[in-house]
Amino acid sequence: MNEQVIEERVAVKLNDDFCSSCSICSSLCPFEAIKKEDETNKILLEIEKCQVCGLCYSTCPAKAIDTIYYDIGSLTSYLERAKQEYDSDTLVIMCKGSAPDFAGVGELFGVTKFIPLSVPCVGRIPEEIFLKALVMGIKEINILACDDDYCRFEKGSPIIERKILALNLLWGQLGYGTEVITLKRNTLKVKVDRDSCIACGNCVFYCPYDAAKLDSPGSVSFDLDACKGCGLCVAMCPALALELENWERDSISTLVSKLSSEMEQPKILVFRCQWAVFPSLDNGQLAPNIRLIDLPCAAGVEPFHILEAFQKGVDGILIAACAEDDCKLEKAGGKTEHLVERLRERLSQIGLQERLHLCTVAPRYPERFNRELEQFIKKIETIGLEESK
Amino acid sequence: MIVTTLKPLDEVLDFIASYSNPNSNILIVGCDGCTTPPRGLREARTLRQLLELGGKLRNTDFTFETTTTAKQCDAYLTASALKPQMDNVVAVLSLACGVGVNTVADIFPDVPVFPAQNTHFFGMEEREGAILEQMCAGCGDCILAETGGICPIARCTKGLLNGACGGSKEGKCELDPARDCAWNLIYDRLKIQGKLDLLKKFYPPKDYSLAGWRVTT
Repeated sequence: MNEQVIEERVAVKLNDDFCSSCSICSSLCPFEAIKKEDETNKILLEIEKCQVCGLCYSTCPAKAIDTIYYDIGSLTSYLERAKQEYDSDTLVIMCKGSAPDFAGVGELFGVTKFIPLSVPCVGRIPEEIFLKALVMGIKEINILACDDDYCRFEKGSPIIERKILALNLLWGQLGYGTEVITLKRNTLKVKVDRDSCIACGNCVFYCPYDAAKLDSPGSVSFDLDACKGCGLCVAMCPALALELENWERDSISTLVSKLSSEMEQPKILVFRCQWAVFPSLDNGQLAPNIRLIDLPCAAGVEPFHILEAFQKGVDGILIAACAEDDCKLEKAGGKTEHLVERLRERLSQIGLQERLHLCTVAPRYPERFNRELEQFIKKIETIGLEESK
Repeated sequence: MIVTTLKPLDEVLDFIASYSNPNSNILIVGCDGCTTPPRGLREARTLRQLLELGGKLRNTDFTFETTTTAKQCDAYLTASALKPQMDNVVAVLSLACGVGVNTVADIFPDVPVFPAQNTHFFGMEEREGAILEQMCAGCGDCILAETGGICPIARCTKGLLNGACGGSKEGKCELDPARDCAWNLIYDRLKIQGKLDLLKKFYPPKDYSLAGWRVTT
């Protein structure tokens, strides 16, 4: 049998020609995806275990690791573009997982005008980018990382701290001052409307951090120091008594309306877990018929936001969730499947089920996501446009 | 918990078909009493949009308002919560169990009240498995003290008072192998407690009139 094996494009790749087998990558990889083979001294990358956090890429001294997300080239060109656009010499790099909206981020650092750079994990930014920023004339760099014990990539937050220490020291010696880079940490928190609470106990059951307590005679209280802002309780609250800071339902509704009106047909709206990055969605140039709404976790997708989008004339909705094994939150794995299944069952009664699609492709396989997206668009084109019905 | 499931949307759309009017509202009323399955504000909002989309397919535009009640089976609380919201309401769609629907219908005799849910049973919530399972049939004459806390009326497919029936196979029911045989469970439980002699007790046919229809609080 003549089997043709086509190598699939993956998001992170190790280039043996450059690798010096120093093992920095394997010691840093939070997911044990990189190992040194004892016999050959060769570094091996197991892509199935890789979560595409980019920490290995940002720390490899030999530049032997390639990534397709947030690599030096794309980050540099973003900075060049954004410096013009935002006309500022202050750069703020923030982790998606802990950043409030841009205004809120500015407040945290006491700056009003700045160049924003929002990334999944600030630990993945290579040192070169900081140096390039300085060369570009950026005077001040502020970094917002997640709290140390709540880095979704486990080691990203501590790594950035060490990088900053080293860079500030280096720049001090060069005469730029020792405080060019400022690091702050933040965690988004749950907001409770106690008047709406029905004491159902869902938040108590689902909270992975024991932050929610049901007090007698029947209203919930949160220990905000323990809350990590994962948003699972918000997704599970039947009374709409909870909100997650910066992801308020009303603002997502507004976004649904805004995006629906600016899209070309067939209108495809993607609700995505913020940890599931894909080149076709993240290269800064979305196709004119595709718009994207990030969520703290795909399990937090609100059924009425999906229905709102259909009402506003969106033709198809794709939910990009992480597979259960890749879930960055505790206890959220598999919840999106359940939610989408239930909603699809209801949508089937009004003929809309084919317009909702759940995709659980991991960022490590960018082409697979592209294929799913293309197939979905084709399917929607076959079914026909919602508006013409 | 009183366990309900959402009715098919077509059935609900049929109920409200003649109440489509841009100048008056259909009020969707949730219930936060038994909290699972959820029938509070989120479900009310979701149902509203499903019905609006479903109405579009029938070329019908409905005008909805959504609200919820602390316990729709509480006539006083429900009346005080809903009365201020009833101006301009031509029909009510209740997300509560049948008790809630009856309650609202009694409070507002001039307004048609429709059930959005089918009501099934009194169930135990098992969160890990995300299931609700019938545990009590409300017979009015509880025998749980003698059956190891396992109700054969609710949990035996045949509702047998003197089980097991002989159709129990490896602890499962012959009518539905997905279900545990309640009498097998009772046997195991009484064995653990050293009370197997309780199985010798014979129960005459049950007087279901004891379930009654009214109690004084």
